Amino acid sequence: MLEIKNLHARIGDREILKGLTLTVKPGEVHAIMGPNGAGKSTLSYILAGKEDYEVTEGEVLLNGASILDLEPNERSVAGLFLAFQYPIEIPGVATMTFLKAALNAHRKAKGQDELTTPEFMKLVKGVAEKLNITSDMLKRPVNVGFSGGEKKRAEIMQMALLQPSICILDETDSGLDIDALKVVSEGVNALRAPDRAFVVITHYQRLLDHIVPDIVHVLSDGRIVRTGGPELALDLEKNGYAAYVADAAA
Amino acid sequence: MVATPVRTPAEQALAARYPAERTSLPGTADVIAIRDAAFGGVEKSGLPHRRVEDWKYTDLRARLKTFPPAAGPGDVARVLIAAPAVEGDKARRLVIANGRYRPELSDLEDLEPGLSIFSLATALEAGDATVLAALKLDDAVASNTAVALNTAFMTDGLVIDVAEGAEVGRPVELVHIAEGEPAASTAVRHLVTVGKAARLTLIETIESLDTVAHHSNVMTVLEVGEGAKVDHIRLQLEPDEAVSLTTLVARIGREANFDTFNAALGAGLARAQIFAEFAGRDAQAGFRGITMLSGRRHADTTLSLIHGAENCQSRELYKAVIDDEARSVFAGRIAVPAHAQKTDARMMTASLLLSEEAEADAKPELEIFADDVQCGHGATCGAIDEDLLFYLLSRGIPKVEAESMLILAFLGEAIDEIQNQAVHDALIHRVEGWLKARAA
Ligand SMILES: Nc1ncnc2c1ncn2[C@@H]1O[C@H](COP(=O)(O)OP(=O)(O)O)[C@@H](O)[C@H]1O
Ligand SMILES: [Mg+2]
Repeated sequence: MLEIKNLHARIGDREILKGLTLTVKPGEVHAIMGPNGAGKSTLSYILAGKEDYEVTEGEVLLNGASILDLEPNERSVAGLFLAFQYPIEIPGVATMTFLKAALNAHRKAKGQDELTTPEFMKLVKGVAEKLNITSDMLKRPVNVGFSGGEKKRAEIMQMALLQPSICILDETDSGLDIDALKVVSEGVNALRAPDRAFVVITHYQRLLDHIVPDIVHVLSDGRIVRTGGPELALDLEKNGYAAYVADAAA
Repeated sequence: MVATPVRTPAEQALAARYPAERTSLPGTADVIAIRDAAFGGVEKSGLPHRRVEDWKYTDLRARLKTFPPAAGPGDVARVLIAAPAVEGDKARRLVIANGRYRPELSDLEDLEPGLSIFSLATALEAGDATVLAALKLDDAVASNTAVALNTAFMTDGLVIDVAEGAEVGRPVELVHIAEGEPAASTAVRHLVTVGKAARLTLIETIESLDTVAHHSNVMTVLEVGEGAKVDHIRLQLEPDEAVSLTTLVARIGREANFDTFNAALGAGLARAQIFAEFAGRDAQAGFRGITMLSGRRHADTTLSLIHGAENCQSRELYKAVIDDEARSVFAGRIAVPAHAQKTDARMMTASLLLSEEAEADAKPELEIFADDVQCGHGATCGAIDEDLLFYLLSRGIPKVEAESMLILAFLGEAIDEIQNQAVHDALIHRVEGWLKARAA
């Protein structure tokens, strides 16, 4: 489903990803863990198509086709979704207008007609309810005035609406209290499906109690330095990243 | 030795036109004298150029290639069937076609009590003393070139009075339409007096039915009485070929509440001038506007506000979206004399540049002589925020649509202050049209 092969990327003169390889198959949940500054967010931005980065080597295939030349919106309609670590506030753009534009862009790409307003409202309300997103939040401009936790829930709501095939969650657990973490995890787990895969980026093991991964990777200094099962996350929780940081530096 | 500047073709055309037209323009000998004085000033100084401070960024002398002849009466049938610029606002439309008020095309039925509407041309011909008095302007205003040309060449306009305490329920809409070819000039003056505690919504639309280089010069002199509430909105919609000069002169009375909004959406060369003054204490005013420019268009908003009384509050917000090689100018000057304590003024201008060649010039100025005041100004200029754009794109929204959403959001801060829903919606519709055209 998602194949990242020997990916090298830089921002300005600085190389951040240094030969990253990762294969995600349909239905799988991968966790990527790693110390701050390892390049986790950089990876997620490059997958989503942010312009600031220059890919100097390697490739990224989604369902067999390279996505590196696609615009971010084309990647989105091709089935890739990034839940941002820091969802941005967009004053003046109504949440519903935004959701409708996004949903209709996806429908158009699939050759489907636009939803009618009542159909759209019903769909959004249904998804929002499950994530404890109030109609007051839906009335506000995109993410404006949302708490950290509300922003993360709103990201998952968007994900649920757009039904992507590969979901990348960048530190979706940060800034969440235990209750919110449960709500978000349930939202994610509800989307687990044989034809959908997840890459869950996190700094802490905590989230992985709720979203149980099939495979855990350690990302350090721009590379995957170790891959294992869920037990790897527990080991990291206990012993920290020190060993891997040292490895990478060596 | 003083160099005599060479007259430009536009200046030559003006010099030829005025003597030929002065006696056939409406008005008594007194009016002709006022016109002569105004034209004399322009004649003497020539058209203003970039070394004249008020015209620094809008060099009229360089930019005005011609000064077309006075407009003929125009084809009334075409004006009659022209689609209204604002739908559904239930406004009382008063039509000014080619600089002439057309009562037969206007809605004069069931005038609200206290509302009176007359033709300026008729009043000038009759030598109406009140109207003559209202032609008298402060020197700083009278000597402004756009104003002086308006005074010299004005053919007609509306004299509108709202009596003390009268609440005019329906908006009054001044519909300016230029019709016909070849290009022609019009100059229109409106005198609007809103009495004590009265209410009025005044809309102006300025448009042309033909894509030729019409010159329009529309000036509105507004007296906002004590405790009155006046909402003024202008939609300036001429084609790219046109030249559009507008002037608003507003005197705001004690405890009055005044808002003015200018949408600069048309004309290749546009200048919207505001000369406003707080004439009584405890009044409030909002000055707002949007400018949308593409191609090689040039639009200038020049605001001069005298915060001339105690405890008055004003908000100024002007937003410009500039594409291609277009250029937007905002010059805002707020003067607070020593006696105007407790003045509260906040002026903001922001420009969104959509291309490398787009240009925005902002010149906010505060001249404060009172010590107990709250005044501030800010100016920003930049491209569309890449992070906001990326977020929208990452959800599948195509680039031009995402940009349109962000441009609309940028302008919305100003547009959403428009109280009249129909005008608000009409404006959003225009903005969306502009964005669609850009995307195409
Ligand atoms: N815009 C940028 N300019 C320069 N360096 C950057 C930029 N963004 C990230 N970096 C650097 O790249 C490295 C990886 O950052 P990031 O991907 O955010 O790490 P993580 O998400 O794993 O904490 C860090 O050292 C960070 O300082
Ligand atoms: Mg990060």
